[in-house]
Amino acid sequence: MLLGKGRGKLLDVKEIDVTYGRAKVLHDVSLQLNQGEVVFIVGRNGAGKTTLLKTISGLMKPSKGSIVYNGEDTRGLSSAKLAQKGVRYVAQDKKVFSHLTVRDNIELAAYAAGEEMSTAIQRTTSIYPKLNDLMDNKAGGLSGGEREILLIGRALVGNPRLFLIDEPTEGLAAIVIEDIFRILSQMKGHNVSAFIVEQNLSIVNRLADRVYIMKEGKIIREISEKPEMADTKDLESYL
Amino acid sequence: MIHTIVYGFTIGAILYFIAIGLSLTFGMMRVINFAHTLTYTLGVYMLVSLGALFKGYFVIAAMIAVVVVIPISYLIERCIIRRLYGESLDHTFIATFAIALIGVDTIKWIWGVLPYPLSDPIGEYLTIGGLTLPIYRIVIVMIAILLFIGLEFFFRKSIVGKIVVAALEDRDGVGCLGIDVDHYFSIVFMMGSALAALGGVLYAPISSVHPYMGLSILLLCFAVVIVGGMGNLRGTFVSALALGMIMAVTARYWSQGAETMVFIVMAIVLIFRPIDI
Repeated sequence: MLLGKGRGKLLDVKEIDVTYGRAKVLHDVSLQLNQGEVVFIVGRNGAGKTTLLKTISGLMKPSKGSIVYNGEDTRGLSSAKLAQKGVRYVAQDKKVFSHLTVRDNIELAAYAAGEEMSTAIQRTTSIYPKLNDLMDNKAGGLSGGEREILLIGRALVGNPRLFLIDEPTEGLAAIVIEDIFRILSQMKGHNVSAFIVEQNLSIVNRLADRVYIMKEGKIIREISEKPEMADTKDLESYL
Repeated sequence: MIHTIVYGFTIGAILYFIAIGLSLTFGMMRVINFAHTLTYTLGVYMLVSLGALFKGYFVIAAMIAVVVVIPISYLIERCIIRRLYGESLDHTFIATFAIALIGVDTIKWIWGVLPYPLSDPIGEYLTIGGLTLPIYRIVIVMIAILLFIGLEFFFRKSIVGKIVVAALEDRDGVGCLGIDVDHYFSIVFMMGSALAALGGVLYAPISSVHPYMGLSILLLCFAVVIVGGMGNLRGTFVSALALGMIMAVTARYWSQGAETMVFIVMAIVLIFRPIDI
């Protein structure tokens, strides 16, 4: 259900600063993502990882620097406009539209993407068939893992080009983390492009094409060699 | 006592018509909209003018009055309210209050300051078991119940309704799907304004029509929204009827304290359930 893509630069973030009021949260951050790459962002709480994803998704605006997505400068584009251009942000808080049913949640994504409901449901359930049984349940009644899966599934609707997924396994039980891993692996198998913020190094180790390490609002290291990514002790020192 | 209950439901129904728009505006866009008084009062004054034109055809005059308010509310949202999204509550309060005051002065300029007397358009009474009840008030309550059912259907079944329900909970989440929330907010804003105007035209024949009528009822409607929960549409319905009843029952025994009692209830609710803004 996911479209494969060739290599080529999809996203180019250059020297961006982001501020909350007077506090500067991101300092001169630069990073790139090629088509079909799954890149993880690792760092302690407060390192600026979520702010970075929010800024790429259009929810926050950089005070300096540029973000070029698919050859287009995204400054001035709202999150809705970016989503229409194929950028999907899955927030950390596992916030589904809890008063609506699972089906309604998918319907909104299908409506926004201009996709047939049957195709949208097929896309969403292809990653987790159990969602079929939950379609008429209120999304607010789902478990944390089911919510995350619904959010990822909802983000798949419309066949987007870039996923920004914030801490997909945070707060989940080990068995559910494996479900999420399986889903992310499946997505990677279909050659999706994604930035994923994650603290679970086992997931990072198994899925990452590259890793950026953030500290105090800056990118302090980029890892692109598999042996370095497999060195969880080294990575752990940054968490 | 039956009279008091019917009167309570009538006031509650009117509060519901007006509070819906306030609740949606705050719940979805975090804007405290004092300009809502303007659409309410404008609806009433349109009815005054159109009532003179369509003598004896209250329903037609009322419907046109409500429809006329829609483009005016669109202009208010497009030119002013839209610029307030994401601003602090103080800014939204000051700006929308300014709109309300400009509106009141404009109404005084066009229609004058003297109150207009309007009469009960039905003027018939229903007698049940020795009790005589004005049919018009019963009609107002019936319209409120039908509106509640209609809105429930709208918000549960229509795509626009579902987008609004989702945006009330997580505006950014809706935006990140690729839906322009501002566009749907315009629709909701106009709908809320039309309902406020509907409340105005229904209430005008059983109350006093004057340029400040919107400001006095608005505070009661804010109490309804706070008690019912910001953006909680079912809560708004229950809260409106409950506070309307509290007003009516209090007025029966202590007329000066009717509105005060509403704000006492609001204060108690705030003690146990502070608003997260």
